[in-house]
Amino acid sequence: MTSLRIAWRNVWRNPRRSAVVVTAVAVGIAGALIAMSFNYGMVVQMIETAIGTELGHIQIHAAGYDANPELRVRMPDGGERPEEVLTRNEGVVAFARRVRGEGLVVSPDASVGVRVVGVEPKSEAAISIVADSMTSGHYLDGNRKRVIIGERLAKRLHVDVGDKIVLSVTDMRGDITGAGLRVGGIFHTPSAALDSGTLFLPLVESQHLLALDDAISEIVVVGSDRARVDDLEGSLASSLSGLEVKSWKQLQPVLDYMVTVFDQMGYIIYGAVFVAMLFGIANVLLMTIYERVREIGILMAIGMPRSRLAISIVLESLIVTLVGLAVGFAVTLAVLAALRDGIDLSSFAAGLESFGVGQRIKPVLRYSDFVVPTVVAFLTAAVASGWPAYRATRFRPAEAVRHV
Amino acid sequence: MLEFRLAWRNVWRNPRRTSLTVAATVFAVVLVVMSVGMAAGVHEKMIEDAVRYGSGHLSVTGEGYLENRTLEQFVHFDDEIEQQLRDTDGVRGYAPRVQSFALLARGNSTSGVAVFGVDPSLENSVSRFSERVRTGSFITPGGRRQIVLGQRLAAKLSAEVGDSLLLYSVAYSLETAYELFDVAGVMRLPDPNLDANLAVISLADAQDFFVYGDRVSEIAILTDEADSAADVARTLKATLRMEGPFEINTWDQIMPELVQFILLDDAGMYITVFIVVVVVGFGILNTVLMAVLERRKEFGVVLALGLRPAAVFRTVYFESVMLAGVGLVIGLAVGLPMLLYFQAHPIELTGGMTEVMELFGSEPVMTFKLKPLNPIGSTITIFALAIVAAFYPAVKASRGRPVDVLRSL
Repeated sequence: MTSLRIAWRNVWRNPRRSAVVVTAVAVGIAGALIAMSFNYGMVVQMIETAIGTELGHIQIHAAGYDANPELRVRMPDGGERPEEVLTRNEGVVAFARRVRGEGLVVSPDASVGVRVVGVEPKSEAAISIVADSMTSGHYLDGNRKRVIIGERLAKRLHVDVGDKIVLSVTDMRGDITGAGLRVGGIFHTPSAALDSGTLFLPLVESQHLLALDDAISEIVVVGSDRARVDDLEGSLASSLSGLEVKSWKQLQPVLDYMVTVFDQMGYIIYGAVFVAMLFGIANVLLMTIYERVREIGILMAIGMPRSRLAISIVLESLIVTLVGLAVGFAVTLAVLAALRDGIDLSSFAAGLESFGVGQRIKPVLRYSDFVVPTVVAFLTAAVASGWPAYRATRFRPAEAVRHV
Repeated sequence: MLEFRLAWRNVWRNPRRTSLTVAATVFAVVLVVMSVGMAAGVHEKMIEDAVRYGSGHLSVTGEGYLENRTLEQFVHFDDEIEQQLRDTDGVRGYAPRVQSFALLARGNSTSGVAVFGVDPSLENSVSRFSERVRTGSFITPGGRRQIVLGQRLAAKLSAEVGDSLLLYSVAYSLETAYELFDVAGVMRLPDPNLDANLAVISLADAQDFFVYGDRVSEIAILTDEADSAADVARTLKATLRMEGPFEINTWDQIMPELVQFILLDDAGMYITVFIVVVVVGFGILNTVLMAVLERRKEFGVVLALGLRPAAVFRTVYFESVMLAGVGLVIGLAVGLPMLLYFQAHPIELTGGMTEVMELFGSEPVMTFKLKPLNPIGSTITIFALAIVAAFYPAVKASRGRPVDVLRSL
């Protein structure tokens, strides 16, 4: 306890110096945390966009679809068996059946290759943000000949709501066929890929056009929580043998890996901040030792054990660093609370949307984000005070007391 | 000059403290030089890839092509235009292309594709498609009905070299167009999106297929330097004589999203670097402040002896600036060769990082690039920070009243 008291008093013997150290630590920690929370917010948005527009949490296909996404790899019975399993499973919040193909959309002005997605309007709306992203016209309704397309595609085709387009596809039999359709609505999502190259049409129309009869290509499942997707995937996979049950992580490993890359980037940033703080704190502590040579000499001369001396120096560094850490956390929380609605980057919209990120980036902080800076702060305090503490214990009392 | 000598001696009166401070500065300088160099390298590579697999440094197109990208916007390409392009200074290469969309089918598999009709004898002067062929060969001059596919597209269609594929689309005449093409080669493109969607045929075939005459969608032009694109575009705009309205756009106008991405990425990098520099700056400020405070008696004495406060200020100020200067010089001496080494030896990434880079349309290589302006800019910034930070301790030292100072100790 005495060491702690001595350390505490030493912190306050030069408040200005301590304040500068505290500020340096706080700026480093808060800066890194805030920068990372926006970075992570961007990654989360990329994942959420992908899940919300096309991916879902889990997708069910006929075996072999992932390797070979062709029309003939299908669930012929319209997905009756999985549907039953999905309705019974408590982890499933919503699911939707889809047909997937490729086609060529032709307008009077242009022709563009697209992914053709046949959906059931009601169930699709429960798993995707597209229904809420309509900018003109309206979402799919009962009309079989009305389709919806993204803003970028509409611009490419030079069409507006109500205009006619022709969709050409190769059907199950390998024949090229087509259908005249009308644009019922136009949507805008944060995903440029979806907006520029996807056409949604009613499931029945797509089954008819592609000569699929009752067959469907996939069932998209949304669970209660993205974090618990692995459990759900496991339970569905075991009850749906013979089908391909894959989570978004398995379907788009890159998206999942983005999180890892992001964390690694975070370590690099903290590494740099750590080294930067280290120099500052070590320097200051070293100075406090040298300006106290006489005092330390006297303490040793009157019998203070070297270990206690070292402990009080390490504690001093620890106190200053931890106060800096606390201030850093407080600043982070305050700044993030002020910016909780995100920052508006609409002037960079085109650049962001090509990676599925919206114009508004909201910071996302995880509890685990506080672990690394805490560890870094402790490490900094320990490493930075190690050398000064060692130096102090090497003083020879007889010489030190005579030091001026 | 006395102040200079005094300051220089003060720098070395506590070598341990000085070396720690210098080490901190060196660390900051190396970090800044490397971060900025890496960003410059990666971005240059991204631009280079985008230019080499896209529309070149600048492209000549029909009016409104960028917004619409349909067959309705075109320019005529003939010997006369070619001659004009050849005679323009700064034009390194040019490639006429027909670009449209089509369905490509093999048996039951169909895929929507972007079709590029290219002239094989001119294409190499602009793009790198032919270098990217992994199996088979690129379109050969004079060859008919050859098609070259991206690797992912070929996999999607299970197509191999020698297979016949049906290309189906709508021609300029608004008639349905279909034709069989033989796969001549499969290429591996760095951008996964392009790799999964691009089919290349010869310009002559494309003009037949789309009933397009001597029209082309764009003439992609490579200039001698990326930076001279705007100048060459201006020259061409003034001199190019062409039938019908045309427009000329530079790569940054063609790909605004790439420009935005680079801006954002740079902003993120600068913020991170700034945080580290500020933390280092606080460390240095603290050191100098301490150095000043422990010398209060000395300053009191020299002030009492009649040295002007301004002279004390200068001594301390020069000391801090020299400290920063030494750190900067060593930092640059360490950082620049390091950067040059990595510029010559790019870091090849492995594992999952490869896919992430591909997601952003880049090859999995970390390239570095030393742009003369960057280290100069960083040096000036860090030096400016040091000059500002040095103010406080220097003012502090010169402000003490000699009587109080002498008495306090």
